[in-house]
Amino acid sequence: MGTTASQLPKDLLSEYQELTFLTKQEILLAHKRFTELLAKEDRSSTSQRVPMEKVLTMPELKSNPFRKRICHVFSTSEAKDGSLTFEDFLDLLSAFSDSATLEIKSHYAFRIFDFDDDGTLDCGDLEKLVNCLTGETDDTRLTPEEMRQLISNILEESDIDKDGTVNLSEFQHVISRSPDFVSSFKIVL
Amino acid sequence: MSFYNTDGIFNPAYHDSETLEIHRSTSRRSHHYNPYDMDQEPWQRGVFHDALPSYNEQSRAPWDSRQGSWRTADSMAMGLIPTQQGSLRWEHNRTNGGYQTSSAVDYSTAHQEQSPGTPPIDRSMRQRGTRKMSLFPGGGVALGKLGMTEEDIREEIENEEQDLVKELAAMSSRDQIRAIRELPMSIEDKKHIRSQVLACKSSKRGLHLTCCTDCSEQVSLSFRRCGTTMVSAKQAMELWQGTMKEIGGKFGTGVLSYFLFLKWLLMFNIFSFLVNFGFITVPQLVQPPNKTANVGFRGLELLTGAGYFNETVMYYGGYSDGIIGTQPEYDMQLAYFFTIAAYLVLCGASLIYSMARSFQRNFVLSYPASGSAWRLLCSWDFKVTNDKAIRQRKNNLRIQLKESLSEKLQGIHMTTSEKLKQFGIHLGTWLISTGLAAGSCAAIYFLYQSNLEVVKDPQAPTSLLYEASTLLLPFVVSLFNLVIPLLYSLLNKAERYSNPRMQIYVIVLRNVLLKMSILGILCYYWMHDVASNISCWESFVGQDLYRLVIMDFFFIMFGSFFGEFLRNVIGTKCLPSLGVPEFDVARNVLDLIYAQTLAWIGIYFSPLLPVIQLIKLFITFYLKKVSLIQNCQPPRRSGRAAQMQTIFIALLFFPSFVGSLSMVAYTVWSLKPSDSCGPFQGLNTTFEAVALWMDREENIPGSMWAVWIYENVIKSELFFFLLTLIFLVLIYFFWQITQGRKLLIVLLREQIINEGKDKAFLLMKLQNLQKAKKTTASLQPTNAQQPKRFDVRQHIEPDYDQEFEGLPRPEEDIGPSVPSALIQAMLARRMAEEEEEDRY
Repeated sequence: MGTTASQLPKDLLSEYQELTFLTKQEILLAHKRFTELLAKEDRSSTSQRVPMEKVLTMPELKSNPFRKRICHVFSTSEAKDGSLTFEDFLDLLSAFSDSATLEIKSHYAFRIFDFDDDGTLDCGDLEKLVNCLTGETDDTRLTPEEMRQLISNILEESDIDKDGTVNLSEFQHVISRSPDFVSSFKIVL
Repeated sequence: MSFYNTDGIFNPAYHDSETLEIHRSTSRRSHHYNPYDMDQEPWQRGVFHDALPSYNEQSRAPWDSRQGSWRTADSMAMGLIPTQQGSLRWEHNRTNGGYQTSSAVDYSTAHQEQSPGTPPIDRSMRQRGTRKMSLFPGGGVALGKLGMTEEDIREEIENEEQDLVKELAAMSSRDQIRAIRELPMSIEDKKHIRSQVLACKSSKRGLHLTCCTDCSEQVSLSFRRCGTTMVSAKQAMELWQGTMKEIGGKFGTGVLSYFLFLKWLLMFNIFSFLVNFGFITVPQLVQPPNKTANVGFRGLELLTGAGYFNETVMYYGGYSDGIIGTQPEYDMQLAYFFTIAAYLVLCGASLIYSMARSFQRNFVLSYPASGSAWRLLCSWDFKVTNDKAIRQRKNNLRIQLKESLSEKLQGIHMTTSEKLKQFGIHLGTWLISTGLAAGSCAAIYFLYQSNLEVVKDPQAPTSLLYEASTLLLPFVVSLFNLVIPLLYSLLNKAERYSNPRMQIYVIVLRNVLLKMSILGILCYYWMHDVASNISCWESFVGQDLYRLVIMDFFFIMFGSFFGEFLRNVIGTKCLPSLGVPEFDVARNVLDLIYAQTLAWIGIYFSPLLPVIQLIKLFITFYLKKVSLIQNCQPPRRSGRAAQMQTIFIALLFFPSFVGSLSMVAYTVWSLKPSDSCGPFQGLNTTFEAVALWMDREENIPGSMWAVWIYENVIKSELFFFLLTLIFLVLIYFFWQITQGRKLLIVLLREQIINEGKDKAFLLMKLQNLQKAKKTTASLQPTNAQQPKRFDVRQHIEPDYDQEFEGLPRPEEDIGPSVPSALIQAMLARRMAEEEEEDRY
């Protein structure tokens, strides 16, 4: 831990501690893991971006069906390529950490599930979500009829104001009634 | 652009760091600020605005005249510099053009005013954030469609941000840090907000000067630091972190909950061990009685707990009575009584606390009906990292979804004969299961009757054969505990419940009934037969419990071997149709609850039993982990782990803890302690020790209050009667409150639905207008994109005003309760206004 601690200045570390839900050890571990992804010559600078393909080689994200969405949501890259800086990476870990609040978690979950980034979960988003959850190949996919039925079921249950989409507050409403969400929306390094 | 040079001096990393907080506060040592002076009184807010004209000017200045406002900013106080810096960043963003696309959603977190008196500030802030999300979806792309210009949006966002900053600056620093941490933004944006807040704060602080608040600031800062250090230390000391992650990664939250439960029980036992060892055992060991052990260590004791152990501090009989030690006197009777009482009370309190919290989180809030929405929206376990496990999970989820869909399509049609058949099956299985439980209880009853005959034989207790024969009873009990649940799960396969959760509840209920009736019959045996027939009966009961705990441990090992390992071998090699076994969380947790009940009952008879329980739990953890990873597959049905956990905690409390508590209480209050051994020898009941102590206290002046409490509270029925009455009244009140809340929820739901309808209506209007606009725009191509101000208010359609009469105008307060429908309405109105102007 000694080497990583020296790489991250003390005031920066305490700032990260204040702005995220992570503890000192978690930030240091995150820094260690993140610098492992960087090429040797880039390790000195703090604002270096790691391309999405590199980030997705991490075992914690490798098999996650939402891995690309996660990167896109937390990336601040202007090119929208899903690349992460160290701070983006900390944001990600903070939202997925143990101590993050339900509101934060549900906010980011909503953005992860909102595939077209339009602020609501419409039928297209839900279809993509179902495909992500059940598998993308042809033999694992649900039939169109099943899909239609399923989506109408979801909307019936969660679309309280009946506008045909699930917005953030409706989504949070569903989530607040499902106590497992907080414990399952977690990624630990 | 020359401002960028100053940016280099005020390095944001330095400026925003916590250390700077100290610098600032020390440099303005005599400044005063009151964190609450802003969110209470509106007039004070006015004062604040007047006092800071430059600040306001800056925040209100239109974007394009930004350069002009720098002049005023230059003459501002030192503390405002970070604000400039923040604005510089904005400028920078604007020139890059990346701002609009990347962070519009994030900046939109801020919203208009907050009405004074709304409960927690940060909560409402977040809610407004969510509201804005729907206003600025997709980083303003949709807004473009609505005809708002980029400039409008930027201005709007900037205003929002300023409001947020002001609101944050009004909080105490502790709340402020928490609130900033909870903003759903990227770190960079949080830094920016924070620097602005700090600037705002320090400029405000410049107005009121005291030293005292600075000191308190310092203290709170050091407390905060201390807190974070504590949290890190706690996390570093967390037991089995890596293992938990591995299990969670392969098997998901459901299986993980078993291991968390085990860890939780381990903590209980560590606590009880420390308490008992510290207050009962150590004083006894310091002053050993003048007894010599007449039995040597033979090895079998480890299994039976008898023989050599009988004379040690392991059991009740090993403790001497009266006062031990001469100089610091130590009353063993009172120590024994109060330690165990305190431990049980603390256990009960912590159980009630965790149970209530768990209920509140997992039951009150959760859906009564199970649907597919939660399964899709919130059931994915992000913790699972294993490739194979994820594939399996996807498969399971797909099958479950298909099942639920087909069930929904078919509906549940059952003829009367089918219903009768179903009922018959249920009745039959219940009869068989209760019959099995009753049969095992009867078998245990006859076994201990014959056992008692042997024990009463005076020459028996020294022989090795006798000692081995004592193992028969615990063996049979553990055997029942292992075999009958297996039969139950076979029975469970035969009956078909429509609801899989119902199936789990039924099997849990049957297992609990079995275990508790076995323990009940054993308690009856100890209280009724053993207590009146055996000379040092407390130690005898302690030994029995020791044997039960040890035997249970062996059977857990057997269970892992036969139940999981052999089943795995059979499933993979001989009968592939059976498949790899699943880890049965419910059965395993019930085993743990049973073991803990034994440990709680034993606390009075064998104060060091928690040590055995500790070792047992520790080994069980590793055993189960290895068995799980080697032999098992993730459970097919992933569902509602949190609710199951609540049920387990409730079970641990209700039959288990309450049962053992009443057993110990009965022993203490009603049974005569044995005459020949133990701390309470010679008394009629254990509780008499307290009565005697009070008699002694009466002669000592200055301790009258203790005697008074004893006479008037502990011993008086009236007190307990009144206490019960008060509790009943309180329960009634709370019940009424929940009824009221339920009604309120129904009303609010209706309101949401109505507002949804409004929204749909308004959106339709908007679309119509847009269509109309397109046609007019094609006729009049000029003048179409002119931004308009809100204050040009015209009446286009009377029903609009009819509908939103009484609701605030956009410039006025939009409290957190105003729905997004209203915002949509505003947009629609604006569109209509433009339309109107275009037309004329």
